[in-house]
Amino acid sequence: MFLKLLDNLNFIAGCKKYKIGLWQCPNFLFLVMGLLTIASMFGTYFASKSFDNETVTIVGVSIVAAIIVTVGSFVVRGVEKIAEANVIKNEFISVVSHQLCGPLSSIRWNMEVLETDSSPEHLKPSPKQMVFLKNIKSANDKMLKLVNQLLEVNRIDEGREIFHDEKADVGAITDQAISELNDLVEERKVEIVKRIAPDLPPVYADASALKTVIRNLVSNAVKYSREKGKVEVDIKPEGKKMLLVVRDWGVGIPRHQHRKVFEKFFRSSNEARYRTDGIGLGLYLAKAIVENFGGELWFESEAGKGSTFFASIPVV
Amino acid sequence: MEDQTKKKILIVEDDKSLQNALVEMISQEGFDSESASDGEEALVKVRSYLPDLVLLDIILPKKNGYEVLEEIKKDEKLKAIPVLILTNLEEVDNVQKALDFGATTFMVKSDFSLKDVVEKIRAALK
Repeated sequence: MFLKLLDNLNFIAGCKKYKIGLWQCPNFLFLVMGLLTIASMFGTYFASKSFDNETVTIVGVSIVAAIIVTVGSFVVRGVEKIAEANVIKNEFISVVSHQLCGPLSSIRWNMEVLETDSSPEHLKPSPKQMVFLKNIKSANDKMLKLVNQLLEVNRIDEGREIFHDEKADVGAITDQAISELNDLVEERKVEIVKRIAPDLPPVYADASALKTVIRNLVSNAVKYSREKGKVEVDIKPEGKKMLLVVRDWGVGIPRHQHRKVFEKFFRSSNEARYRTDGIGLGLYLAKAIVENFGGELWFESEAGKGSTFFASIPVV
Repeated sequence: MEDQTKKKILIVEDDKSLQNALVEMISQEGFDSESASDGEEALVKVRSYLPDLVLLDIILPKKNGYEVLEEIKKDEKLKAIPVLILTNLEEVDNVQKALDFGATTFMVKSDFSLKDVVEKIRAALK
């Protein structure tokens, strides 16, 4: 109890961390408010002994009220500043991502022209040069994916993403999602076993969003699998819902990090051991989409043994 | 001499590097093309070149893509020409606005490879 209080009092470090002044730090302001209130109550008490009781009570209560209002307004201003910072941050990410999209698309398209160029053989880039061009292309594609992911998260956060319900071919969507991960799967030499129940009822959902969910879950499973490991993707009916289960036998998530898994920009600490890229938006995005569908996303995981992610999605 | 069998595409794009790539890929794929770098030039060229299809960016100097689209669709001679929007804006209200004006389809540049763009062109020309 006392330790916790001390911990809460450690607001100077907190202020430094969040780059706000002491007078904007809610913890500190509440402490000041508490101390002043206690002091004025004592003042009122002692004053009431020597003066007329009624007047003193009114003055005392007024002082306490004034303190609460004054300090309270500081607290509100502090919170407003934090909220405003959050809006600015989202706008910044959005503007930067939009601006990046143009040049990145340009690199991608011009690279494509180079690849399909029909110039005479002796004027084409040499095979060695082609290798480097391919490297540029794949690096650019990665960057484009990141930027698109940032934009998508932004749209979802701001409620601008609109999902279209359409009859979705789950089998085809799953195949597409997995084929987009071909490079990663090859690199990690992971085997993907896909099982789609034949009695799956028709699913009505936004196909592209559903693909994002499947791709993000499978890509995570592959990233955190051990080399030559196995990833299972099961899709089956469950009442009026479709249950998507993605299982791996990889590094798993340490228990103390379980509650953070779906947080934005979260990356597990086992990361260092299994070098992967990504910025920790995949699961956040998957959860946001599934919840938008009116479904649920959860997982079971044990460090060293692997993880299983479940997405239950209403089909109609 | 202009090849009569080739379908004609008007490419409206103000970013030269994107325009170059589009022109090159579209000619590799066997189309004839002209390009315009702003809205006014687009309207002049659409009348003189009479393309079979217009590939239209939204953010353009002088006149934006919506204005160009609106004028094409108002003109009896031009309104049958399919217009494919190709832009960086990905917000849904923009998609709707373009489709309301009569655009055939809407593509976000960063989501499409040139091959995808060509596929959409072929589909729209069928």
